[in-house]
Amino acid sequence: MKSPESKRNWMIFTNGIVYIVIALFLFFFLFPIFWVIITSLKSRVQTFTIPPVWIFKPTLQSYRAIFTEMQFSHYLLNSTAIAILNTILVVFTGSLAAYSIARFKTGGNNLSFWILSIRMIPPIVVAVPLFIALNKLRMIDTHLALILLYTTLNLPLAVWIMRAFLMEIPEELEESAMIDGCSRMQAFWRIVLPLARPGLAATAIFCFIFSWNEFLFALIFTRIVAKTAPLAMTTLMTEREIYWGNICAGATLVIVPVIVFSLIVQKHIVRGLTFGAIK
Amino acid sequence: MICRKGEKSLAYLLVLPATIILGVLTLYPFGFMIYLSVHRWKASLAYIPKSFVGLSHFIRLFQEEFFWSAMSVTFRFLVVVILIEFFLGLFLALLLNRRMRGRRLIRSLFLLPMMLTPVVVGLIWRFILNDEVGILNYFFFIIHLPAQAWLGDVSTALQAIMLVDVWQWTPFMILVLLAGLQSLPGEPFEAAKVDGASTWQTFRFITIPLLKPIILIALLFRTIDAYRIFDKIYVMTYGGPKTSTEPLSLYVYRSGFRHYDMGYTAALSLVMLIIIIAISQGYIRFMVKK
Repeated sequence: MKSPESKRNWMIFTNGIVYIVIALFLFFFLFPIFWVIITSLKSRVQTFTIPPVWIFKPTLQSYRAIFTEMQFSHYLLNSTAIAILNTILVVFTGSLAAYSIARFKTGGNNLSFWILSIRMIPPIVVAVPLFIALNKLRMIDTHLALILLYTTLNLPLAVWIMRAFLMEIPEELEESAMIDGCSRMQAFWRIVLPLARPGLAATAIFCFIFSWNEFLFALIFTRIVAKTAPLAMTTLMTEREIYWGNICAGATLVIVPVIVFSLIVQKHIVRGLTFGAIK
Repeated sequence: MICRKGEKSLAYLLVLPATIILGVLTLYPFGFMIYLSVHRWKASLAYIPKSFVGLSHFIRLFQEEFFWSAMSVTFRFLVVVILIEFFLGLFLALLLNRRMRGRRLIRSLFLLPMMLTPVVVGLIWRFILNDEVGILNYFFFIIHLPAQAWLGDVSTALQAIMLVDVWQWTPFMILVLLAGLQSLPGEPFEAAKVDGASTWQTFRFITIPLLKPIILIALLFRTIDAYRIFDKIYVMTYGGPKTSTEPLSLYVYRSGFRHYDMGYTAALSLVMLIIIIAISQGYIRFMVKK
Protein backbone atom coordinates (compact mmCIF):
# COMPACT_ATOMS: atom_id res chain seq x y z
CA MET A 1 0.00 0.00 0.00
CA LYS A 2 1.39 3.37 -1.02
CA SER A 3 1.51 6.04 1.63
CA PRO A 4 -0.65 9.12 0.98
CA GLU A 5 2.58 11.13 0.80
CA SER A 6 4.08 9.10 -2.07
CA LYS A 7 0.72 8.95 -3.78
CA ARG A 8 0.57 12.73 -3.78
CA ASN A 9 4.09 12.98 -5.15
CA TRP A 10 3.15 10.53 -7.89
CA MET A 11 0.13 12.69 -8.77
CA ILE A 12 2.28 15.82 -9.00
CA PHE A 13 4.78 13.95 -11.16
CA THR A 14 2.21 12.63 -13.67
CA ASN A 15 0.47 16.01 -13.78
CA GLY A 16 3.80 17.61 -14.60
CA ILE A 17 4.34 15.19 -17.48
CA VAL A 18 0.83 15.79 -18.79
CA TYR A 19 1.41 19.55 -18.79
CA ILE A 20 4.71 19.14 -20.63
CA VAL A 21 3.15 16.92 -23.30
CA ILE A 22 0.25 19.34 -23.76
CA ALA A 23 2.64 22.29 -23.96
CA LEU A 24 4.66 20.54 -26.69
CA PHE A 25 1.54 19.88 -28.75
CA LEU A 26 0.27 23.41 -28.21
CA PHE A 27 3.59 24.64 -29.56
CA PHE A 28 3.13 22.41 -32.64
CA PHE A 29 -0.43 23.63 -33.24
CA LEU A 30 0.14 27.31 -32.54
CA PHE A 31 3.66 28.04 -33.69
CA PRO A 32 2.82 28.26 -37.44
CA ILE A 33 0.11 30.84 -36.72
CA PHE A 34 2.45 32.84 -34.51
CA TRP A 35 5.25 32.61 -37.06
CA VAL A 36 3.12 33.92 -39.91
CA ILE A 37 1.89 36.90 -37.91
CA ILE A 38 5.45 37.70 -36.81
CA THR A 39 6.79 37.43 -40.36
CA SER A 40 4.06 39.73 -41.67
CA LEU A 41 5.54 42.48 -39.50
CA LYS A 42 9.11 42.08 -40.75
CA SER A 43 10.82 44.13 -43.42
CA ARG A 44 11.36 42.49 -46.81
CA VAL A 45 15.02 41.75 -46.12
CA GLN A 46 14.32 40.26 -42.69
CA THR A 47 11.86 37.71 -44.11
CA PHE A 48 14.68 36.15 -46.12
CA THR A 49 17.28 36.02 -43.36
CA ILE A 50 18.49 32.67 -42.06
CA PRO A 51 18.96 32.26 -39.12
CA PRO A 52 15.64 34.03 -38.66
CA VAL A 53 15.50 37.32 -36.75
CA TRP A 54 13.45 37.06 -33.59
CA ILE A 55 13.76 40.59 -32.31
CA PHE A 56 13.10 43.40 -34.75
CA LYS A 57 11.26 46.67 -35.15
CA PRO A 58 7.80 45.84 -36.55
CA THR A 59 6.92 47.46 -39.86
CA LEU A 60 3.73 47.50 -41.92
CA GLN A 61 5.72 47.44 -45.16
CA SER A 62 4.23 44.13 -46.33
CA TYR A 63 0.68 45.23 -45.60
CA ARG A 64 1.25 48.45 -47.50
CA ALA A 65 2.63 46.41 -50.41
CA ILE A 66 -0.40 44.14 -50.79
CA PHE A 67 -2.83 47.04 -50.51
CA THR A 68 -1.12 49.29 -53.02
CA GLU A 69 0.41 46.78 -55.45
CA MET A 70 -2.48 44.35 -55.75
CA GLN A 71 -5.57 45.99 -54.24
CA PHE A 72 -6.00 43.37 -51.59
CA SER A 73 -8.81 45.49 -50.11
CA HIS A 74 -10.93 44.75 -53.20
CA TYR A 75 -10.65 41.01 -52.56
CA LEU A 76 -11.26 41.33 -48.83
CA LEU A 77 -14.35 43.38 -49.60
CA ASN A 78 -15.57 40.74 -52.07
CA SER A 79 -15.02 37.98 -49.52
CA THR A 80 -16.87 39.94 -46.86
CA ALA A 81 -19.81 40.87 -49.08
CA ILE A 82 -20.23 37.33 -50.45
CA ALA A 83 -19.93 35.74 -47.01
CA ILE A 84 -22.44 38.13 -45.41
CA LEU A 85 -25.04 37.89 -48.18
CA ASN A 86 -24.71 34.12 -48.32
CA THR A 87 -25.10 33.95 -44.54
CA ILE A 88 -28.31 36.03 -44.64
CA LEU A 89 -29.79 33.88 -47.41
CA VAL A 90 -28.81 30.62 -45.73
CA VAL A 91 -29.85 31.50 -42.19
CA PHE A 92 -33.22 32.79 -43.41
CA THR A 93 -34.19 29.86 -45.64
CA GLY A 94 -32.42 27.38 -43.37
CA SER A 95 -34.25 28.31 -40.18
CA LEU A 96 -37.65 28.24 -41.87
CA ALA A 97 -36.94 24.76 -43.23
CA ALA A 98 -35.46 23.63 -39.91
CA TYR A 99 -38.55 24.84 -38.03
CA SER A 100 -40.84 23.00 -40.39
CA ILE A 101 -38.78 19.81 -40.11
CA ALA A 102 -38.40 20.05 -36.33
CA ARG A 103 -42.08 20.72 -35.61
CA PHE A 104 -44.07 19.08 -38.42
CA LYS A 105 -41.62 16.35 -39.46
CA THR A 106 -42.07 17.69 -43.00
CA GLY A 107 -40.93 15.27 -45.67
CA GLY A 108 -40.22 12.63 -43.01
CA ASN A 109 -36.72 11.24 -42.82
CA ASN A 110 -36.27 11.39 -46.58
CA LEU A 111 -36.10 15.17 -46.81
CA SER A 112 -33.70 15.61 -43.90
CA PHE A 113 -31.43 12.82 -45.09
CA TRP A 114 -31.42 14.14 -48.61
CA ILE A 115 -30.33 17.51 -47.21
CA LEU A 116 -27.67 15.83 -45.06
CA SER A 117 -26.38 13.71 -47.94
CA ILE A 118 -25.45 16.88 -49.86
CA ARG A 119 -22.63 17.17 -47.32
CA MET A 120 -21.06 14.06 -48.90
CA ILE A 121 -20.76 15.47 -52.42
CA PRO A 122 -17.21 16.63 -53.17
CA PRO A 123 -17.67 20.16 -54.61
CA ILE A 124 -15.34 19.45 -57.54
CA VAL A 125 -17.79 16.78 -58.73
CA VAL A 126 -20.54 19.31 -59.51
CA ALA A 127 -18.11 21.92 -60.83
CA VAL A 128 -18.18 20.94 -64.52
CA PRO A 129 -21.97 20.86 -65.02
CA LEU A 130 -22.42 24.01 -62.95
CA PHE A 131 -19.69 25.77 -64.88
CA ILE A 132 -21.36 25.02 -68.20
CA ALA A 133 -24.74 26.20 -66.88
CA LEU A 134 -23.43 29.39 -65.28
CA ASN A 135 -21.41 30.13 -68.38
CA LYS A 136 -24.58 29.98 -70.49
CA LEU A 137 -26.33 32.25 -68.00
CA ARG A 138 -23.37 34.67 -68.16
CA MET A 139 -22.92 34.39 -64.42
CA ILE A 140 -19.24 33.50 -64.30
CA ASP A 141 -17.29 36.00 -62.21
CA THR A 142 -20.36 37.45 -60.52
CA HIS A 143 -20.91 37.81 -56.79
CA LEU A 144 -24.37 36.29 -57.17
CA ALA A 145 -22.91 33.04 -58.54
CA LEU A 146 -20.75 32.48 -55.46
CA ILE A 147 -23.52 33.54 -53.06
CA LEU A 148 -25.78 30.89 -54.59
CA LEU A 149 -23.09 28.21 -54.91
CA TYR A 150 -22.09 28.57 -51.27
CA THR A 151 -25.65 27.70 -50.24
CA THR A 152 -24.93 24.12 -51.31
CA LEU A 153 -22.19 24.04 -48.68
CA ASN A 154 -23.97 26.01 -45.96
CA LEU A 155 -27.69 25.34 -46.26
CA PRO A 156 -27.50 21.66 -45.21
CA LEU A 157 -25.41 22.74 -42.23
CA ALA A 158 -27.87 25.51 -41.30
CA VAL A 159 -30.88 23.20 -41.52
CA TRP A 160 -29.28 20.52 -39.37
CA ILE A 161 -27.86 22.79 -36.67
CA MET A 162 -31.03 24.89 -36.43
CA ARG A 163 -33.09 21.72 -36.30
CA ALA A 164 -30.99 20.50 -33.35
CA PHE A 165 -31.39 23.83 -31.55
CA LEU A 166 -35.12 24.14 -32.27
CA MET A 167 -35.86 20.64 -31.02
CA GLU A 168 -34.54 21.70 -27.63
CA ILE A 169 -37.15 24.46 -27.33
CA PRO A 170 -40.30 23.04 -25.71
CA GLU A 171 -43.34 23.05 -28.00
CA GLU A 172 -45.62 24.05 -25.12
CA LEU A 173 -44.36 27.62 -25.35
CA GLU A 174 -45.71 28.03 -28.86
CA GLU A 175 -48.89 26.18 -28.05
CA SER A 176 -49.74 28.48 -25.18
CA ALA A 177 -48.95 31.50 -27.35
CA MET A 178 -51.28 30.11 -30.01
CA ILE A 179 -54.04 29.54 -27.46
CA ASP A 180 -53.63 33.19 -26.55
CA GLY A 181 -54.43 34.05 -30.15
CA CYS A 182 -51.06 34.11 -31.91
CA SER A 183 -50.85 32.58 -35.36
CA ARG A 184 -48.24 29.88 -35.97
CA MET A 185 -45.88 32.31 -37.69
CA GLN A 186 -46.32 34.91 -34.96
CA ALA A 187 -45.46 32.28 -32.37
CA PHE A 188 -42.40 31.30 -34.40
CA TRP A 189 -41.29 34.89 -34.82
CA ARG A 190 -41.99 36.17 -31.29
CA ILE A 191 -41.40 33.12 -29.11
CA VAL A 192 -39.21 30.57 -30.87
CA LEU A 193 -36.68 32.70 -32.71
CA PRO A 194 -35.72 34.83 -29.68
CA LEU A 195 -35.15 31.63 -27.71
CA ALA A 196 -33.10 30.16 -30.56
CA ARG A 197 -30.85 33.21 -30.71
CA PRO A 198 -27.67 31.34 -29.61
CA GLY A 199 -28.37 28.78 -32.33
CA LEU A 200 -28.93 31.48 -34.92
CA ALA A 201 -25.71 33.21 -33.93
CA ALA A 202 -23.70 29.99 -34.10
CA THR A 203 -25.22 29.03 -37.46
CA ALA A 204 -24.57 32.48 -38.89
CA ILE A 205 -20.95 32.48 -37.76
CA PHE A 206 -20.35 29.02 -39.20
CA CYS A 207 -21.86 30.02 -42.54
CA PHE A 208 -19.72 33.14 -42.57
CA ILE A 209 -16.52 31.22 -41.79
CA PHE A 210 -17.16 28.51 -44.37
CA SER A 211 -17.95 31.04 -47.11
CA TRP A 212 -14.94 33.09 -46.12
CA ASN A 213 -12.66 30.03 -46.24
CA GLU A 214 -13.98 28.58 -49.49
CA PHE A 215 -11.51 28.29 -52.34
CA LEU A 216 -12.49 25.75 -55.01
CA PHE A 217 -15.67 27.45 -56.27
CA ALA A 218 -13.95 30.83 -56.14
CA LEU A 219 -11.13 29.41 -58.25
CA ILE A 220 -13.46 28.00 -60.88
CA PHE A 221 -16.25 30.56 -60.98
CA THR A 222 -14.50 33.90 -60.54
CA ARG A 223 -11.88 35.83 -62.52
CA ILE A 224 -11.40 39.45 -61.41
CA VAL A 225 -14.67 41.14 -60.47
CA ALA A 226 -15.83 38.67 -57.83
CA LYS A 227 -12.39 37.27 -56.91
CA THR A 228 -12.16 36.51 -53.19
CA ALA A 229 -9.28 36.92 -50.74
CA PRO A 230 -8.24 33.23 -50.52
CA LEU A 231 -8.00 33.14 -54.33
CA ALA A 232 -6.02 36.38 -54.34
CA MET A 233 -3.56 34.71 -51.94
CA THR A 234 -2.61 32.25 -54.67
CA THR A 235 -1.79 35.06 -57.10
CA LEU A 236 0.81 36.21 -54.60
CA MET A 237 2.53 32.88 -55.23
CA THR A 238 2.80 33.15 -58.99
CA GLU A 239 5.05 36.20 -59.00
CA ARG A 240 8.53 35.58 -60.30
CA GLU A 241 10.03 36.13 -56.92
CA ILE A 242 7.91 35.12 -53.95
CA TYR A 243 7.71 37.78 -51.26
CA TRP A 244 6.96 35.75 -48.19
CA GLY A 245 6.31 38.93 -46.20
CA ASN A 246 3.42 39.81 -48.51
CA ILE A 247 2.02 36.31 -48.28
CA CYS A 248 2.21 36.39 -44.50
CA ALA A 249 0.50 39.79 -44.41
CA GLY A 250 -2.33 38.53 -46.63
CA ALA A 251 -2.56 35.32 -44.61
CA THR A 252 -2.82 37.28 -41.37
CA LEU A 253 -5.64 39.44 -42.75
CA VAL A 254 -7.54 36.35 -43.91
CA ILE A 255 -7.15 34.32 -40.71
CA VAL A 256 -7.63 36.99 -38.04
CA PRO A 257 -11.42 37.32 -38.55
CA VAL A 258 -11.71 33.53 -38.53
CA ILE A 259 -9.80 33.26 -35.27
CA VAL A 260 -11.96 35.93 -33.61
CA PHE A 261 -15.18 34.30 -34.80
CA SER A 262 -14.07 30.78 -33.80
CA LEU A 263 -13.41 31.95 -30.29
CA ILE A 264 -16.94 33.40 -30.13
CA VAL A 265 -18.63 30.14 -31.21
CA GLN A 266 -16.19 27.78 -29.52
CA LYS A 267 -18.99 26.36 -27.36
CA HIS A 268 -20.81 25.23 -30.52
CA ILE A 269 -17.86 24.32 -32.70
CA VAL A 270 -18.18 20.55 -32.36
CA ARG A 271 -21.88 20.81 -33.03
CA GLY A 272 -21.34 22.93 -36.10
CA LEU A 273 -18.67 20.73 -37.61
CA THR A 274 -20.68 17.56 -37.08
CA PHE A 275 -23.99 19.03 -38.30
CA GLY A 276 -25.52 18.97 -34.83
CA ALA A 277 -24.80 15.26 -34.41
CA ILE A 278 -22.54 15.79 -31.39
CA LYS A 279 -23.18 18.42 -28.80
CA MET B 1 -49.19 18.81 -30.97
CA ILE B 2 -52.30 20.76 -31.81
CA CYS B 3 -52.80 20.45 -35.52
CA ARG B 4 -54.58 23.39 -37.04
CA LYS B 5 -56.21 23.86 -40.37
CA GLY B 6 -53.76 24.92 -43.05
CA GLU B 7 -50.71 23.96 -41.02
CA LYS B 8 -49.85 21.18 -43.40
CA SER B 9 -49.52 23.59 -46.31
CA LEU B 10 -47.61 26.02 -44.08
CA ALA B 11 -45.15 23.22 -43.25
CA TYR B 12 -44.48 22.65 -46.93
CA LEU B 13 -44.29 26.36 -47.64
CA LEU B 14 -41.54 26.75 -45.05
CA VAL B 15 -39.26 24.07 -46.51
CA LEU B 16 -39.91 25.25 -50.06
CA PRO B 17 -37.21 27.94 -50.47
CA ALA B 18 -34.43 25.73 -49.11
CA THR B 19 -35.60 22.74 -51.13
CA ILE B 20 -35.78 24.71 -54.37
CA ILE B 21 -32.31 26.19 -53.95
CA LEU B 22 -30.72 22.85 -53.06
CA GLY B 23 -32.74 20.99 -55.66
CA VAL B 24 -31.66 23.24 -58.50
CA LEU B 25 -28.04 23.35 -57.39
CA THR B 26 -27.62 19.61 -56.85
CA LEU B 27 -30.15 17.66 -58.92
CA TYR B 28 -29.54 19.66 -62.08
CA PRO B 29 -25.73 19.15 -62.09
CA PHE B 30 -26.24 15.51 -61.23
CA GLY B 31 -28.53 14.92 -64.23
CA PHE B 32 -26.36 16.96 -66.59
CA MET B 33 -23.30 15.07 -65.38
CA ILE B 34 -24.83 11.73 -66.31
CA TYR B 35 -25.76 13.12 -69.73
CA LEU B 36 -22.27 14.53 -70.30
CA SER B 37 -20.53 11.37 -69.15
CA VAL B 38 -21.79 9.45 -72.18
CA HIS B 39 -21.08 12.22 -74.67
CA ARG B 40 -17.92 13.53 -76.22
CA TRP B 41 -17.61 17.23 -75.70
CA LYS B 42 -14.45 19.25 -75.58
CA ALA B 43 -15.21 22.80 -74.50
CA SER B 44 -12.02 24.03 -76.13
CA LEU B 45 -13.17 22.75 -79.52
CA ALA B 46 -16.63 24.32 -79.61
CA TYR B 47 -17.05 23.69 -83.35
CA ILE B 48 -17.10 19.94 -82.85
CA PRO B 49 -20.67 18.94 -82.01
CA LYS B 50 -21.43 16.80 -79.00
CA SER B 51 -21.67 13.17 -79.94
CA PHE B 52 -22.90 10.11 -78.09
CA VAL B 53 -20.05 7.81 -77.16
CA GLY B 54 -21.67 5.32 -74.79
CA LEU B 55 -19.48 4.08 -72.00
CA SER B 56 -16.17 4.76 -73.74
CA HIS B 57 -15.21 7.52 -71.25
CA PHE B 58 -15.55 5.02 -68.43
CA ILE B 59 -13.50 2.43 -70.27
CA ARG B 60 -10.79 4.97 -70.99
CA LEU B 61 -10.92 6.08 -67.37
CA PHE B 62 -10.15 2.67 -65.96
CA GLN B 63 -7.21 2.30 -68.35
CA GLU B 64 -5.84 5.74 -67.55
CA GLU B 65 -2.63 5.77 -65.56
CA PHE B 66 -3.43 9.21 -64.08
CA PHE B 67 -6.69 7.88 -62.67
CA TRP B 68 -5.03 5.01 -60.80
CA SER B 69 -2.26 7.26 -59.58
CA ALA B 70 -4.88 9.74 -58.28
CA MET B 71 -6.80 6.90 -56.61
CA SER B 72 -3.62 5.72 -54.94
CA VAL B 73 -2.73 9.22 -53.71
CA THR B 74 -6.27 9.85 -52.44
CA PHE B 75 -6.52 6.63 -50.49
CA ARG B 76 -2.98 6.60 -49.12
CA PHE B 77 -3.53 10.15 -47.95
CA LEU B 78 -6.97 9.39 -46.51
CA VAL B 79 -5.98 6.29 -44.56
CA VAL B 80 -2.76 7.71 -43.14
CA VAL B 81 -4.11 11.08 -42.04
CA ILE B 82 -7.26 9.65 -40.53
CA LEU B 83 -5.38 7.04 -38.52
CA ILE B 84 -2.87 9.55 -37.20
CA GLU B 85 -5.51 12.18 -36.49
CA PHE B 86 -7.68 9.66 -34.70
CA PHE B 87 -5.03 8.16 -32.43
CA LEU B 88 -3.30 11.46 -31.73
CA GLY B 89 -6.67 13.10 -31.16
CA LEU B 90 -7.77 10.34 -28.78
CA PHE B 91 -4.50 10.56 -26.87
CA LEU B 92 -4.76 14.33 -26.43
CA ALA B 93 -8.49 14.17 -25.64
CA LEU B 94 -7.74 11.71 -22.82
CA LEU B 95 -5.04 14.03 -21.48
CA LEU B 96 -7.35 17.04 -21.65
CA ASN B 97 -10.16 15.12 -19.99
CA ARG B 98 -8.28 15.25 -16.68
CA ARG B 99 -9.07 17.90 -14.14
CA MET B 100 -6.44 20.54 -14.60
CA ARG B 101 -5.90 24.24 -14.32
CA GLY B 102 -6.59 26.34 -17.43
CA ARG B 103 -8.40 23.56 -19.26
CA ARG B 104 -10.86 25.90 -20.96
CA LEU B 105 -8.11 28.16 -22.27
CA ILE B 106 -6.05 25.18 -23.50
CA ARG B 107 -9.13 23.74 -25.21
CA SER B 108 -9.84 26.96 -27.06
CA LEU B 109 -6.23 27.27 -28.17
CA PHE B 110 -6.35 23.75 -29.60
CA LEU B 111 -9.37 24.58 -31.75
CA LEU B 112 -7.69 27.31 -33.80
CA PRO B 113 -6.04 25.36 -36.67
CA MET B 114 -9.21 23.64 -37.88
CA MET B 115 -11.13 26.86 -38.47
CA LEU B 116 -8.42 28.49 -40.59
CA THR B 117 -8.76 28.96 -44.33
CA PRO B 118 -7.28 25.79 -45.90
CA VAL B 119 -5.54 27.66 -48.73
CA VAL B 120 -3.89 29.94 -46.22
CA VAL B 121 -2.87 26.95 -44.12
CA GLY B 122 -1.25 25.49 -47.24
CA LEU B 123 0.64 28.72 -47.90
CA ILE B 124 1.73 29.09 -44.27
CA TRP B 125 3.19 25.59 -44.36
CA ARG B 126 4.72 26.10 -47.77
CA PHE B 127 6.63 28.97 -46.17
CA ILE B 128 7.60 26.88 -43.15
CA LEU B 129 8.67 23.92 -45.32
CA ASN B 130 10.51 26.06 -47.87
CA ASP B 131 13.98 24.63 -48.42
CA GLU B 132 15.80 27.99 -48.37
CA VAL B 133 13.97 30.36 -46.04
CA GLY B 134 11.78 27.88 -44.18
CA ILE B 135 12.02 27.66 -40.41
CA LEU B 136 11.69 23.87 -40.33
CA ASN B 137 14.99 23.39 -42.12
CA TYR B 138 16.50 25.91 -39.71
CA PHE B 139 15.28 23.84 -36.73
CA PHE B 140 16.73 20.76 -38.44
CA PHE B 141 20.03 22.60 -38.88
CA ILE B 142 20.12 23.40 -35.14
CA ILE B 143 19.72 19.74 -34.18
CA HIS B 144 22.19 18.68 -36.92
CA LEU B 145 19.78 17.01 -39.30
CA PRO B 146 20.14 17.44 -43.07
CA ALA B 147 18.01 20.10 -44.78
CA GLN B 148 15.40 18.83 -47.22
CA ALA B 149 13.37 20.16 -50.14
CA TRP B 150 10.24 18.78 -48.48
CA LEU B 151 7.74 19.65 -51.18
CA GLY B 152 10.08 19.23 -54.14
CA ASP B 153 10.97 15.60 -53.55
CA VAL B 154 8.78 12.72 -54.68
CA SER B 155 9.57 10.77 -51.53
CA THR B 156 8.58 13.48 -49.04
CA ALA B 157 6.00 15.71 -50.78
CA LEU B 158 2.93 13.63 -49.93
CA GLN B 159 4.14 13.09 -46.38
CA ALA B 160 4.58 16.84 -45.96
CA ILE B 161 0.99 17.38 -47.11
CA MET B 162 -0.17 14.68 -44.70
CA LEU B 163 1.63 16.50 -41.90
CA VAL B 164 -0.23 19.70 -42.74
CA ASP B 165 -3.57 17.90 -42.75
CA VAL B 166 -2.76 16.31 -39.41
CA TRP B 167 -1.87 19.76 -38.13
CA GLN B 168 -5.17 21.23 -39.21
CA TRP B 169 -7.57 18.38 -38.39
CA THR B 170 -6.24 16.62 -35.28
CA PRO B 171 -7.86 19.45 -33.27
CA PHE B 172 -11.22 18.36 -34.70
CA MET B 173 -10.68 14.83 -33.38
CA ILE B 174 -9.54 16.20 -30.01
CA LEU B 175 -12.63 18.34 -29.58
CA VAL B 176 -15.14 15.76 -30.79
CA LEU B 177 -13.65 12.96 -28.69
CA LEU B 178 -13.34 15.26 -25.68
CA ALA B 179 -17.00 16.23 -26.03
CA GLY B 180 -17.76 12.50 -26.23
CA LEU B 181 -15.70 11.65 -23.15
CA GLN B 182 -17.38 14.38 -21.14
CA SER B 183 -20.85 13.20 -22.09
CA LEU B 184 -20.28 9.61 -20.88
CA PRO B 185 -22.42 8.47 -17.93
CA GLY B 186 -20.59 8.01 -14.62
CA GLU B 187 -22.16 4.75 -13.39
CA PRO B 188 -20.31 2.19 -15.57
CA PHE B 189 -17.00 3.70 -14.44
CA GLU B 190 -17.94 3.52 -10.77
CA ALA B 191 -19.07 -0.07 -11.23
CA ALA B 192 -15.76 -0.92 -12.91
CA LYS B 193 -13.86 0.70 -10.05
CA VAL B 194 -15.84 -1.32 -7.50
CA ASP B 195 -15.09 -4.49 -9.46
CA GLY B 196 -11.38 -3.62 -9.41
CA ALA B 197 -10.89 -3.14 -13.16
CA SER B 198 -7.51 -1.77 -14.21
CA THR B 199 -7.22 1.56 -16.04
CA TRP B 200 -6.56 -0.26 -19.31
CA GLN B 201 -9.52 -2.61 -18.83
CA THR B 202 -11.82 0.31 -18.05
CA PHE B 203 -10.62 2.13 -21.15
CA ARG B 204 -10.82 -0.88 -23.44
CA PHE B 205 -14.12 -2.37 -22.26
CA ILE B 206 -16.08 0.69 -21.08
CA THR B 207 -14.77 3.93 -22.57
CA ILE B 208 -14.25 2.71 -26.14
CA PRO B 209 -17.59 0.87 -26.54
CA LEU B 210 -19.51 3.81 -25.07
CA LEU B 211 -17.63 6.21 -27.30
CA LYS B 212 -18.11 4.16 -30.45
CA PRO B 213 -21.04 6.09 -32.02
CA ILE B 214 -19.17 9.37 -31.62
CA ILE B 215 -15.93 7.87 -32.95
CA LEU B 216 -17.78 6.67 -36.05
CA ILE B 217 -19.36 10.07 -36.70
CA ALA B 218 -15.97 11.77 -36.31
CA LEU B 219 -14.34 9.28 -38.69
CA LEU B 220 -17.15 9.66 -41.22
CA PHE B 221 -16.83 13.43 -41.30
CA ARG B 222 -13.07 13.27 -41.61
CA THR B 223 -13.30 10.65 -44.36
CA ILE B 224 -15.69 12.80 -46.40
CA ASP B 225 -13.38 15.80 -46.07
CA ALA B 226 -10.05 14.04 -46.56
CA TYR B 227 -11.45 12.40 -49.70
CA ARG B 228 -12.13 15.79 -51.29
CA ILE B 229 -8.76 17.37 -50.33
CA PHE B 230 -7.97 20.07 -52.87
CA ASP B 231 -7.10 23.53 -51.53
CA LYS B 232 -3.93 22.68 -49.63
CA ILE B 233 -2.49 20.53 -52.38
CA TYR B 234 -3.36 23.14 -55.02
CA VAL B 235 -1.18 25.73 -53.29
CA MET B 236 1.50 23.47 -51.83
CA THR B 237 2.50 21.27 -54.78
CA TYR B 238 -0.23 21.47 -57.46
CA GLY B 239 -0.04 17.68 -57.57
CA GLY B 240 3.69 17.54 -58.19
CA PRO B 241 6.49 16.53 -58.37
CA LYS B 242 5.15 14.65 -61.42
CA THR B 243 1.78 13.38 -60.17
CA SER B 244 3.03 12.12 -56.82
CA THR B 245 0.61 14.30 -54.82
CA GLU B 246 -2.31 14.55 -57.24
CA PRO B 247 -5.54 13.31 -55.63
CA LEU B 248 -8.82 12.65 -57.46
CA SER B 249 -10.19 16.16 -56.92
CA LEU B 250 -7.17 17.77 -58.53
CA TYR B 251 -7.26 15.27 -61.40
CA VAL B 252 -10.92 16.18 -62.01
CA TYR B 253 -9.99 19.87 -61.93
CA ARG B 254 -7.11 19.37 -64.35
CA SER B 255 -9.09 17.39 -66.91
CA GLY B 256 -12.09 19.72 -66.68
CA PHE B 257 -10.55 23.15 -66.39
CA ARG B 258 -7.13 22.70 -67.97
CA HIS B 259 -7.89 20.21 -70.75
CA TYR B 260 -11.58 21.16 -71.11
CA ASP B 261 -12.46 17.53 -71.75
CA MET B 262 -15.95 17.91 -70.29
CA GLY B 263 -17.40 14.50 -71.20
CA TYR B 264 -14.47 12.61 -69.71
CA THR B 265 -14.47 14.85 -66.64
CA ALA B 266 -18.16 14.18 -66.06
CA ALA B 267 -17.51 10.42 -66.19
CA LEU B 268 -14.62 10.87 -63.78
CA SER B 269 -16.74 13.03 -61.43
CA LEU B 270 -19.45 10.42 -61.42
CA VAL B 271 -16.99 7.70 -60.42
CA MET B 272 -15.57 9.94 -57.71
CA LEU B 273 -19.06 10.58 -56.37
CA ILE B 274 -20.07 6.91 -56.42
CA ILE B 275 -16.97 5.92 -54.43
CA ILE B 276 -17.65 8.36 -51.59
CA ILE B 277 -21.34 7.42 -51.49
CA ALA B 278 -20.34 3.76 -51.17
CA ILE B 279 -17.89 4.54 -48.37
CA SER B 280 -20.41 6.68 -46.48
CA GLN B 281 -23.04 3.97 -46.85
CA GLY B 282 -20.56 1.53 -45.36
CA TYR B 283 -20.08 3.78 -42.33
CA ILE B 284 -23.81 4.33 -41.91
CA ARG B 285 -24.56 0.59 -42.11
CA PHE B 286 -21.93 -0.02 -39.48
CA MET B 287 -23.37 2.69 -37.25
CA VAL B 288 -26.93 1.40 -37.52
CA LYS B 289 -25.89 -2.21 -36.94
CA LYS B 290 -24.00 -1.46 -33.72
